[in-house]
Amino acid sequence: MAQHDLEITISKTGEVRVHVKGVKGKACMAYAEWLAKAIGQVKERQLTSEYYEPETKARIDLHQELGRGQ
Amino acid sequence: MSTVIVLTPIVIASWPAITAAVAAAAAGLGLSVREELRSEEAVEAENQAEVELENSEVLAQGMALGKELVLTQGEMTIRVRRDERGQCRVCAEGKGHSKQELKQMAEAFSQKLVQSYAYHRTVSELKNKEFQMVHEDVAEDGTIRLHVRRWVD
Repeated sequence: MAQHDLEITISKTGEVRVHVKGVKGKACMAYAEWLAKAIGQVKERQLTSEYYEPETKARIDLHQELGRGQ
Repeated sequence: MSTVIVLTPIVIASWPAITAAVAAAAAGLGLSVREELRSEEAVEAENQAEVELENSEVLAQGMALGKELVLTQGEMTIRVRRDERGQCRVCAEGKGHSKQELKQMAEAFSQKLVQSYAYHRTVSELKNKEFQMVHEDVAEDGTIRLHVRRWVD
């Protein structure tokens, strides 16, 4: 089982900052896309070193699951 | 770490959803809220200031014509309504305050409203994806902090 964590802050002005943790590769973008669709416009995006690590099969499945849920 | 995104909320909601967000924002500020028919009574221009909620669209469904939400605290009144173009507007009224103070109050409430909307929208979406809340708190500056987790095979 893989653990996926989101650390979210909602500022006084309503701006939402989401830090996706524990998700490697492009699968983490599934979270970003899902939240952007649900909440609003993407103002800023930063990719960190984990993004460039290889994805696992489980994470590909997650991406598909998130895609179906929209 | 993997990715960080910053989102600007877009408030597209039905009137009942706006009402819920207004009620939550009002509770956080110690204001009482009620829904009533929009008053035709004229308020002197210097005793009111109105701001438009950016990136907002109030859907007409479930909304009785001419209704507005009225929040009161002492001599201060804040009115929330849907304008002719479907955008959400917040108006602050009260005697003994400068126009600038009233505008600041309307803006402060608008921000609280957007924060409440973003919070409820985010938590609802997280629940749909079966995330579990690990930690939630509010920082001294009013920022809401959430830490959620889910396990995947």
